[in-house]
Amino acid sequence: MNFFVNLLYSGLGNLASYLAAHVLLCLLPAFYIAGAMTALIPKETVTRFLGRNTPKFISYPAAALAGSVLAVCSCTIVPLFAGIYKKGAGLGPAITFLFFAPAANILALIYTGGVIGPDLALARFILSLAFGIGIGIIMALIFRHEDVEHDKATDAMFAAQGKMRKVALVFLLVLVSLLLSGTLKVGLLTNTYSTFTIPISGMDKVQDFLYNLIPYDSAKGEEGVTAQGAILIGLLVFIGITSWLGMENIFDGFNKWTWISLSLVALTLLVAAVGMSPHAGGLDVLINGKFFGVLLALIVLGYILKTKLTEDETRDFLWESWKFVKQIFPLLVVGVFAVGVIRALIKPEWIESLAGQNTLLGNLAGVVFGVFMYFPTLVEVPIAQMFLSLGMHRGPLLAYLMADPELSLQSILIISTIIGRLKSWTYVAWVALFSTLSGLIYGAWVDGAGIGLVALYLILFLALLSGSLWFVNRRNVQKMAAVH
Amino acid sequence: MLTIKVLGSGCANCKRVEQIVRKIITDMSLEAEVIKVTDYNDITAYNILSTPGLVINEKVVSYGRIPSPAEVTTWITSALETANP
Repeated sequence: MNFFVNLLYSGLGNLASYLAAHVLLCLLPAFYIAGAMTALIPKETVTRFLGRNTPKFISYPAAALAGSVLAVCSCTIVPLFAGIYKKGAGLGPAITFLFFAPAANILALIYTGGVIGPDLALARFILSLAFGIGIGIIMALIFRHEDVEHDKATDAMFAAQGKMRKVALVFLLVLVSLLLSGTLKVGLLTNTYSTFTIPISGMDKVQDFLYNLIPYDSAKGEEGVTAQGAILIGLLVFIGITSWLGMENIFDGFNKWTWISLSLVALTLLVAAVGMSPHAGGLDVLINGKFFGVLLALIVLGYILKTKLTEDETRDFLWESWKFVKQIFPLLVVGVFAVGVIRALIKPEWIESLAGQNTLLGNLAGVVFGVFMYFPTLVEVPIAQMFLSLGMHRGPLLAYLMADPELSLQSILIISTIIGRLKSWTYVAWVALFSTLSGLIYGAWVDGAGIGLVALYLILFLALLSGSLWFVNRRNVQKMAAVH
Repeated sequence: MLTIKVLGSGCANCKRVEQIVRKIITDMSLEAEVIKVTDYNDITAYNILSTPGLVINEKVVSYGRIPSPAEVTTWITSALETANP
């Protein structure tokens, strides 16, 4: 019985510290950024580069860009993938898009950066870009003759032009700066400029109580819940309730709850930005640079929202953001809780012996786990953090992070209805290979291998790759010649 | 008689579009058939790049966003006029 209580504690503790520490300053703005991108960027600004007649050196990067900014939700991914494949730039860019969308969409990148570290988020982005385009080109070459046979339908679908309004662009940039001012760790933002004390006696007792309630072990990478964290969790619950009342029926018009929930979000971000230190006499509130940054960004956002955006834009923006929250947040909560439970069951020695070093086996283990386990969007991040704290090396960790979101049984099945089974499994094999390699290379870099050595690895790998591509290409040409 | 198709695999936005359409049909007391198209091959046949899509009498009137009830009413009215001049 005690065993189960412990498991429950571990799960709840993980959840509480997650909500208090990670969600607010990174995930909350991230949801709004994703919402703004979906609602305010016309799809045509990017899709017009995905037509048949676009040169390859434009269509591949454009496909990656489309994956990053347009596709946070499966509503967009699958139709856009099918469209690019069947009527647009063809199999290669479609695969690039498919690879890039889950690996490096804006939500995933922000969340990885906030939870695990900017270095891994950057590695995830750069390697996804390189490999997404690489795998796209490989697939296009392997299945070249089939791509030629593809229906030569007109480009009409991709011809539409779209222009983003300047105001919408500014709005997006301010949202990003809100995120940055809340999360960047530079002196200007983290320095404290003034302090005041809220005289509530016994705040230190509250803090001790919280630490006792949710015990933690910093040696294992666990985090406790601070008094500030408890306040924030309370505010989050209120945001949840008011958003439900204000956003769910937003298509019938804005109501007072819409504005109350938005004000609560602003308040929460401000509370999360300041530093708090409880002591016997009360609660010291430290006004730091973050606070001013967040405050400034919020004021600008409020101004644009009130006066510059049309009612339709505001409504779409709020609805899309709320939709992401509704779609992803509950799964994330369940996922984080489950991670907390599982974490109590896994012995660090297991992970350490399997993937504690940057070995081929360790990287393969990361990839296999990523391919066969399916986790909802973003849940891969807390899982990765669990592995990290249990002693996994950063190399295999990246291999896992690369493989997990791209490949799951569910997505493979959907893809194969569009491009066929052979192509899907070829794609899976390439992703597994590339993920393993990216883990190995990144791991070598983390272990302190010189830039030269890492570059050598990369060059060797690229040479091998282009050699085999050349071979496949030549065989294809011969085959085509034989047919004709 | 109108044929209205809602294209989409069943994500939140697609359901929302279907709701809006059904409400308008009831409000205008029209005779119309609302079909949900969920198969991706059928959806891409309509040349749309993102769901939800809305098709009235085989003509795509909107995709990739949730149209407002006012817009949908306009489209339905003009489709009715084209059908019965």
